[in-house]
Amino acid sequence: MKLIFTMVFLGIAFSACSSTRPPTQQLTQTEASISQAEQVGAEEYAPLEIREARKKLQEARSLVKKEKYEDAKLLADRAMVDAEYAQIKTLSAKAQKAVYQLQESIKALQKEIGNKIQQRK
Amino acid sequence: MKVQNYKKLMGGSLLIVTMLIGCAGAPQNNPLLTEAEQVYSVAENDSLVVLKAPVALKEAEENLEKSQAIWKEKGDEKLVNHYAYMAKQKTAIAIETAKLNEAQDAVEGAESRRQVVLLTARRAEAIAAERKAKDALEEAREDRLAAEKAREEARNAEQKAIEMASRISELEAKQTERGLVLTLSEVLFDFNSAELKIGSKNVVEELTNFLNEYPMRKVLIEGYTDNIGSVEYNKTLSQQRANSLRNALVNNGVNTDKIETKGLGEQYPIATNINEAGRQQNRRVEIVVSDNEGIITQRKD
Repeated sequence: MKLIFTMVFLGIAFSACSSTRPPTQQLTQTEASISQAEQVGAEEYAPLEIREARKKLQEARSLVKKEKYEDAKLLADRAMVDAEYAQIKTLSAKAQKAVYQLQESIKALQKEIGNKIQQRK
Repeated sequence: MKVQNYKKLMGGSLLIVTMLIGCAGAPQNNPLLTEAEQVYSVAENDSLVVLKAPVALKEAEENLEKSQAIWKEKGDEKLVNHYAYMAKQKTAIAIETAKLNEAQDAVEGAESRRQVVLLTARRAEAIAAERKAKDALEEAREDRLAAEKAREEARNAEQKAIEMASRISELEAKQTERGLVLTLSEVLFDFNSAELKIGSKNVVEELTNFLNEYPMRKVLIEGYTDNIGSVEYNKTLSQQRANSLRNALVNNGVNTDKIETKGLGEQYPIATNINEAGRQQNRRVEIVVSDNEGIITQRKD
């Protein structure tokens, strides 16, 4: 019985944590996600999304200062998802560009080879 | 009692009406949730997204369900909006992830297509090179055949010349390092005389025929003697013998510039001068026949 009470107590204590302590982990993760997105080139390929992520992160930080930890956590989560989107959008755009360039290079190659063989004949 | 009943009925009706009104009015639309639902529904029905980005799509669904649940329970609207936004963004992530995966597949496909193109090109080049090599080989073979044919013809001509020269019965035709050499024995001349015997007419005739048959060929007539008598005398005699043969040929119609003469006296004996048999062999006239270009190999002294 004692054990169950302790567990329930601990459970309550932990769940309480999320709203009574600053969401440090979320903020750190979001920041990492934003810089990852920047590294792959989000500034060029997803400028609005990355800007949105940064803005939300900043707001989340100011909410932490106002000790509105629950709201700060939610905002950090949304900033995180924005950063993720910015990153995947960048990667996707780059990959599509690569596909296009590859296809063009193949076309050029085919043409060049065609000419070469024609010349030999 | 009646009134009470009536009141009760009224109260019940009012309650029902209120409930009905409440039902119709309560779940107004949450615009963010509606948008998330629409976006998600599109992605969910996109087989590419379902196939290529199942995890992100699942996350979107979970967020959407949370939003819907809170909305249904009339919970905190802030949370409804939060999860709706999360669902919307996760859906967008799912769509982009699917596009990214598709592009990566396309890159791989393009790479293998590039390989195919290169392979095809290499094969075409190889075929061209092979054809070129074959042509070269064929050309070389033709050249070789032509050369062989020319050589064969030259050999045949040479053979024919030798055969023809050999038919001149009084001459001894020999293929030497100087070319074809015909040796006339001393019997064509009287002793100590430079005049051709009547019997040599046949030889002159046949030599003439030979030179007519091979207009490119020239002859060098060399006269030789034994060592009896002075060197000077022998040289003169040998020159005269060579000359008389030339004159006979010229009289027969052979062009003079096709004939060279040389008196070599007792030089280059082909036999011993100790006995008569040897001396007889040394008294001779040799006719060196030129090659097809008219070039005569001179004696190397």
